[in-house]
Amino acid sequence: MIVEIGHYALVLTLATALIVSILPVIGARRRDMALMALAPTGSITIFALVAISFASLTWAYVVSDFSVANVWENSHSLMPLIYKYSGVWGNHEGSMMLWLLILTLFSALVAVFGRNLPDSLRANVLAVQAWITVAFLLFILFTSNPFLRLDPAPAEGQDLNPVLQDFGLAIHPPLLYLGYVGFSVCFSFAVAALMEGRIDAAWARWVRPWTLAAWTFLTAGIAMGSYWAYYELGWGGWWFWDPVENASFMPWLAGTALLHSALVMEKREALKIWTVLLAIMTFSLSLLGTFLVRSGVLTSVHSFATDPTRGIFILTILAIFIGGAFALFAWRAPMLKAGGIFAPISREGALVLNNLILTVATATVLTGTLYPLVLETLTGEKISVGAPFFNMTFGLLMLPLLIAVPFGPMLAWKRGDLLGAFQRLWVFAALALFAGLAFFYIQHGGPVMAIFGLILGFWGMIGAFADLWYRGNFAKVGFSVGLKRIAGLPRSVFGTAIAHFGLGVTVLGIFAATTFGTETVVEMKQGQTVNAGGYTLVYDGLRDAVGPNYTEQRGHFTARVGGVAVADVWSSKRLYTARRMPTTEAGILTFGLSQLYVSLGDAIEGQSGGMVVRIWWKPFILCIWGGCLVMMLGGFVSLSDRRLRVGAPSRKAKVVRPVLEAAE
Amino acid sequence: MILWIVLAALTAAVAAVLIMPFARGSKVALADRAGEVEVYRDQLSELDRDKAQGLINAEEAEYARAEIGRRLLAVAGEGEKQAAAPAKKYAIATAVVTLVPPAVGLCLYVMLGNPGIPDQPLEARLANPGNNIALLVAKAERHLAQNPNDGAGWDLLAPIYFRSMRLGDAEMAYRNAIRLLGPTPVRLAGLGETLVAESDGIVTEDARGAFQEAVKLDPDNPRSRFYVGLGYEQSGRAAEALAEFETIAKASTPDAPWMELVNQHIAKNGGTVAASPPAANAPGNPNQADIAAAQGMSQGDRQAMIRGMVDSLATKLKEDPNNLEGWLRLVRSYAVLGDKQKATDALKDGLKQFPSSGELVALANEIGLAVEGVQQ
Repeated sequence: MIVEIGHYALVLTLATALIVSILPVIGARRRDMALMALAPTGSITIFALVAISFASLTWAYVVSDFSVANVWENSHSLMPLIYKYSGVWGNHEGSMMLWLLILTLFSALVAVFGRNLPDSLRANVLAVQAWITVAFLLFILFTSNPFLRLDPAPAEGQDLNPVLQDFGLAIHPPLLYLGYVGFSVCFSFAVAALMEGRIDAAWARWVRPWTLAAWTFLTAGIAMGSYWAYYELGWGGWWFWDPVENASFMPWLAGTALLHSALVMEKREALKIWTVLLAIMTFSLSLLGTFLVRSGVLTSVHSFATDPTRGIFILTILAIFIGGAFALFAWRAPMLKAGGIFAPISREGALVLNNLILTVATATVLTGTLYPLVLETLTGEKISVGAPFFNMTFGLLMLPLLIAVPFGPMLAWKRGDLLGAFQRLWVFAALALFAGLAFFYIQHGGPVMAIFGLILGFWGMIGAFADLWYRGNFAKVGFSVGLKRIAGLPRSVFGTAIAHFGLGVTVLGIFAATTFGTETVVEMKQGQTVNAGGYTLVYDGLRDAVGPNYTEQRGHFTARVGGVAVADVWSSKRLYTARRMPTTEAGILTFGLSQLYVSLGDAIEGQSGGMVVRIWWKPFILCIWGGCLVMMLGGFVSLSDRRLRVGAPSRKAKVVRPVLEAAE
Repeated sequence: MILWIVLAALTAAVAAVLIMPFARGSKVALADRAGEVEVYRDQLSELDRDKAQGLINAEEAEYARAEIGRRLLAVAGEGEKQAAAPAKKYAIATAVVTLVPPAVGLCLYVMLGNPGIPDQPLEARLANPGNNIALLVAKAERHLAQNPNDGAGWDLLAPIYFRSMRLGDAEMAYRNAIRLLGPTPVRLAGLGETLVAESDGIVTEDARGAFQEAVKLDPDNPRSRFYVGLGYEQSGRAAEALAEFETIAKASTPDAPWMELVNQHIAKNGGTVAASPPAANAPGNPNQADIAAAQGMSQGDRQAMIRGMVDSLATKLKEDPNNLEGWLRLVRSYAVLGDKQKATDALKDGLKQFPSSGELVALANEIGLAVEGVQQ
């Protein structure tokens, strides 16, 4: 009964979403409060219904109800409990349910926190959210229904794909979807603004928290996915320019551009049309990513199933939403009033440069991802666009951006003084240069280009704080007064500095890990040793072990320095019994920010106990994901900025407002 | 019944919530620009703070103040233009809100739902399995997962697995039973047949080893010995094959139901068949796999036939490469045929199509093909 209630709740959601799609829009045109008030009430109802539905599906997974086809296909009664939960979204149907849950969650959040929005804008935004909800509900109900039943029910499930049975998977999709779907709010705001034909600086302010939140979660989701691929797939790499990775990276690039252009719009009311276009593009790229991954056009770990009807359905959704939004844009954008003007060298100019580079980079990634598909469709020829292409094009594009990052916050709005910024920054540039050279000297050897990369990393890290330094005016007013001045700065300034610092950390990690890393492939017998990264790794032999739903052979390794054992690690080859599918579990030893990565290969035939072992030394690799975490922290700090919450107590509190401000 | 009551209650609740905005009576939206005014006021106060801290100079601050002031004025001016709309009743909207949820909900649910199927949590079903073989097997599996050293359990499950074509599980169960309870001719022959079925009728080294053990324990078992002979025959060792088949012929009565098949193999391996009346195909013959494997073909013919099948699969995949299952089968087939080069090529093509297919990589690891070189 619980499962059927879940199914019905989903159907009822469709009915509610249809109502919310239409009536509030009429209300907004007629300026009718009651019809507009339906939007927030309805959005919260929709979220509640989807939550009921999702909970009942989760329940079916937890109790292993194999009369639900989706549970039978993707679960196993002996699976650890946490994977029964994560198994809910470890498959096509369930991941679409998660998509829907998060989409409706965002609608509900807009309904709750959007009290300071003009009524008509809020009604329109929520209605557009409801359109998206309807589209995805139809998709789920008619092509990917997770509530289909089996009668009679099988006795045992087919197990979750073993590579997905991992803690990383438990949190990677929810984070990623929070990012992907979060951009739907920006899209809805853009479409709503176009429908109203009015857009101004306040609009940018209202969109900013949603952009920031989505961007922050997407950053975390991508970093998480990259780390998961790194330790679970056992190939030692952390980014493969895989089309599916690109699908999540493109919205991130466009979203980063949006974040920056919305800033210009909020401050100067410039770049309005561009910002609206970016908001539409960012979510379109999210949808495109969903299409590429879900339709079976691309096959990878993520594409759980391939089905042509699904592909056509998603393509239709894509055409309607992206096409519709761009058509609306083409029709309405010329009616928008243009905003403030600015000189090329100014904060705005720097942000335009940022946007330019990020957009071109997005286009590059898009080309690299889609070109092979288009070529195959047209000529049947199969090519693969790999890392060399992306490293050349994307890498080169990023260089000027990384150099420019510390300059942006130093320039004044409207008219900036580049020379002044140069003068103020040279100390920091020298510091970065020195740090890069020192780093290189300590690590020894490596190609010369790496020095440049390292300096770039440090430049980003150190330059991020140049802005704070000068705002504090430490040089003139002394340390304690400077600190007080810094403490008085809005949190978004800290958010900017922290996020830019994080970017520098990531860049540093990328260059250090690729330049100073080593890879060793050896045949090892019990007792043999290998040197990597200054550690001596001893192979202690192989042992059989049994897990809840797998059997494994675990190899034990001890890391020694100067004959003293400092750490030990297991690396194993598992066989998941239900699917008869082997996986490799890498053994990873962490030393500070560096890692020793051990992956077991095959046993060598004819010899006793000999194994092929791959050992990677990855210096400072944790900087890559650590930097992403720092960026994410920057996002949250910025999100907590008092100014983003201004007006939240709504119109009634308006009179009290100045008093409150003074008190804060 | 309870289900329908719950569904009705849910529908009513949704309709009741959605009707709330109309129940409050009609109101007309006032010109509402307060939110925007708030934003610009805040921008102004931020400007003051920046100025006080010396972050911007007085001239820039004046410019910015003028700019924000213009935005404020624009918003305020617009607010006055809006006129109030007349109040009215919400008959249509109320009808939509109360009727759409039950109508859409019921229609779609009747179309898509399965109200008749109850929830079936596994624990509850296992507690009361009845005659459901699958459930009994699942129950035994759980028992074995906790007591993996219960040989009798593995012994019981092994033939059931084999019959339901869960060959991997059958192999594991037979091996466990042999490990824990010791080898018997029945278990060894069962393991052997499982291995033969796993490699599509080919008696591998492993399988022949199992049958040979079985023959050692029970020299009079014609079935195991037949497989031993078949294994020799398939690997081209005709003399050894002949010896095995002749031993069977010697030990069996001429009218034994398997003699026809044995005689065919004796003839095929260059022996002379003792004259005897051809026995009718009586029930109790060697099983289907044997017949399929033997089917009166020579080693060469058989290989050719298998090759033909594999090649046609390869052609099919070339035309429609979007078939992961097909690629897996092709790679495995080439590997079984011992054609490592072609297996690697097929793996390469398969990986091109499905760049990060865990299954292909897993298969490659299983049969010992290098993935790394292929993927670059």
